[in-house]
Amino acid sequence: MTISLSQSSTLVIDDFQSMRSMIMGFLKSMGVTNISNVGTAREALELLSSKKFDLVICDYNLGQGQNGQQILEEARHKRYIGHSTVWMMVTAEKTMDMFMGAAEAKPDDYLLKPVTEAMLSSRLNKLFEKKRTLEPVEKAVKSRNYAHAIKLCEAQLATPSANTQELQRIKSDLLINSGDFATAKTFLGGLLAVRNIPWVKTSLGKVLYLSKDYLKARELFEEVLQENKMYLEAADWLAKTLDALGENALAQSVLEKAMALSPNATQRQQSLADAALKNGALELAQSAYEKAIKLGEFSVHKNAATFAGLAKVLTVQDDPEQALKILSRSRSEFKDDAAAALQTAVAESLAHYKLGDTEQALVSLQEAEALIGASEQDTSVGTTLDMAHMMFQLGQKEKACGLLESVVRNNHENRSVLQRVETAFEDAGMAEEGLALIQKATKEVIDTNNQGVALANEGKFEEGIRLIRKALQAMPNNDLMMTNLCGMMIGTMHRTGKDDRMLFEAGELLERVSRINPVNKKYHQYVTLLGKMSATD
Amino acid sequence: MQQTEDLSFSDFIASSIHDMKNSLNIQVGFLEHLMHSYHDKVDSSTLDQLGHTIYEAGRMNVNLVQILSLYKLGNSIYPIDISERSVTEVLEEVVLQNQSIMKHKGIEIIVDCAPSHYWYFDRDLVGGVLVNALNNAYNYTQDKIRIAADIRDGQLEIRVEDNGKGYPARMLNENVDCNKGINFSTGSTGLGFYFSSRVAAMHKNGERQGVLTIENGGAYGGGCFVLTLP
Repeated sequence: MTISLSQSSTLVIDDFQSMRSMIMGFLKSMGVTNISNVGTAREALELLSSKKFDLVICDYNLGQGQNGQQILEEARHKRYIGHSTVWMMVTAEKTMDMFMGAAEAKPDDYLLKPVTEAMLSSRLNKLFEKKRTLEPVEKAVKSRNYAHAIKLCEAQLATPSANTQELQRIKSDLLINSGDFATAKTFLGGLLAVRNIPWVKTSLGKVLYLSKDYLKARELFEEVLQENKMYLEAADWLAKTLDALGENALAQSVLEKAMALSPNATQRQQSLADAALKNGALELAQSAYEKAIKLGEFSVHKNAATFAGLAKVLTVQDDPEQALKILSRSRSEFKDDAAAALQTAVAESLAHYKLGDTEQALVSLQEAEALIGASEQDTSVGTTLDMAHMMFQLGQKEKACGLLESVVRNNHENRSVLQRVETAFEDAGMAEEGLALIQKATKEVIDTNNQGVALANEGKFEEGIRLIRKALQAMPNNDLMMTNLCGMMIGTMHRTGKDDRMLFEAGELLERVSRINPVNKKYHQYVTLLGKMSATD
Repeated sequence: MQQTEDLSFSDFIASSIHDMKNSLNIQVGFLEHLMHSYHDKVDSSTLDQLGHTIYEAGRMNVNLVQILSLYKLGNSIYPIDISERSVTEVLEEVVLQNQSIMKHKGIEIIVDCAPSHYWYFDRDLVGGVLVNALNNAYNYTQDKIRIAADIRDGQLEIRVEDNGKGYPARMLNENVDCNKGINFSTGSTGLGFYFSSRVAAMHKNGERQGVLTIENGGAYGGGCFVLTLP
């Protein structure tokens, strides 16, 4: 429930005491009584984690440490604040990250300095009004009732309002996330016919990318950048598209240009490093990983993969000693993080092997094996392939093949992953044998799935569920299998009535599906069905 | 060779302006704070002086923002955000920013725009243009300013009109975006007009491009500043 401005619990973040007391003075004369204030990012996050705020007024530039944008990202990421919190950024200068990119990363509005009471009051009142109007839509999105959320957007869009653009963006994102690309294309195309707007063109490009029409997607992203070279979201998507087209060198150069224009984007720096490593541009990869580690220091995007990536580059460049130093830093930075420990162990194994220390390489590899077995997390394909590589090197051919087969089973419809598995077999000098293994594993998945579907068609849901459940143990990340299992559970419950444990299991499966494959076509349909089912008595 | 020297000089100026703007913001912040804490503790003439100091600092900030924006527009690194906005909201905000000083000089200012008007523009750039237009009108009007917007011929027309003597014939005959307005003795730098016409031109839709014009007449028979956006 969005509350009124005067009743809201408010936090003011600014490193200057005089600025804080000025803004608090403004707020008091607007009738706001519940106000906290802090001078550093650390204090801000501490307070945000322990208390619920309806309004945050945050200075962008806070001197040393995290800036306002990074506090916002961390607070959203860790769910300290939700959709109903109004976040107002105060800044001396407009920057792109204030109105571009994903909704989670953007403040609700920004105010350019110098701040006056009249402006602050006018903006805040409008933002609270906006939150109130959008509340039903946000609620429907949160409960994953996308069809209903889209209907609400359309109803509000019937009359032009201050929220038109926001509603158009939400509707477009909902259509894309629920995999309804055809409707998304028509909707965005209609908007573009009236006026050329960068976010609309970029979203249409995304739809084309997701429908695997890479050539047309590339054209659109290039157009956006030609018209407005600061619209860097288009650059990120162009790089992804070029990567999918196999134009790796071009992808790298697009990211390099984007980094020159906006040098503080942590995730883009990481993408650039990955692209350079892929292209064998080792010097650039090294400096890009180093920069990404530095940029990530105060960011929620701080990631063990960056450390592992740098270690890998150093190993390839004949400096495994330095690689091991980086990895030991990673170990202390990401304590108690199983996924990070796995990436680190694999990279350590590569470095030890390069040093000629087969024994230590084996120890690290064994650690990685134990972690991959125990890990609930979805392990990245890259890490798994590196592990298989080490197994081949250390003469564990059977284990390596088993690992690669599991990659195939988990990704049997993903051609680029299958291509990488094929390359891994080639590198181990077993191209032909590898190809046969890939085909065998793919066929197993398809056969099992067909059996399951046949059982479901005969109404033998229980039997089908048993079969797929068992199959999933060998391919825990296969989203096709997961959605089919879900479908059968829904079928059973339709016949024999609602079962809370089954509802829970199906819900968990769908959560994982949306993580592994955000554009799974059946995901949306099943989420809606489950939502309806749990609402009935 | 000449060009690289020019470039490094403007980079140098831009970074200095950025620095100056930060200092100025701290000063303005402190002055606002003083105003807020002492408005019932000091006499009215001190308060007037403080108000005028804040106004002058505000004018300086507007100029610095314009120069910095022009630098960024020139290098295509301005984070331009042309999106659909409520026209009334932007007009009202611009008036809000200048209300106290207008009131002080006894100027009546009205906003004339249907609340149903929405248009595509960069809120900060167009806001900057209008603040500048309002500052001009403030200097030349007798006692009235009208800021109005309407949609004509598929374009948004924003007008800032006053009841002063109007623009001299010499200015009406020139292109407003020419830099001929620089006159060190009167303090007219021409920066505002130059900035405004650049901002107008940044707004494009299909084949059409925004324009800035000045004329005499309007509702009060004085100077009119007209921004047309496609």
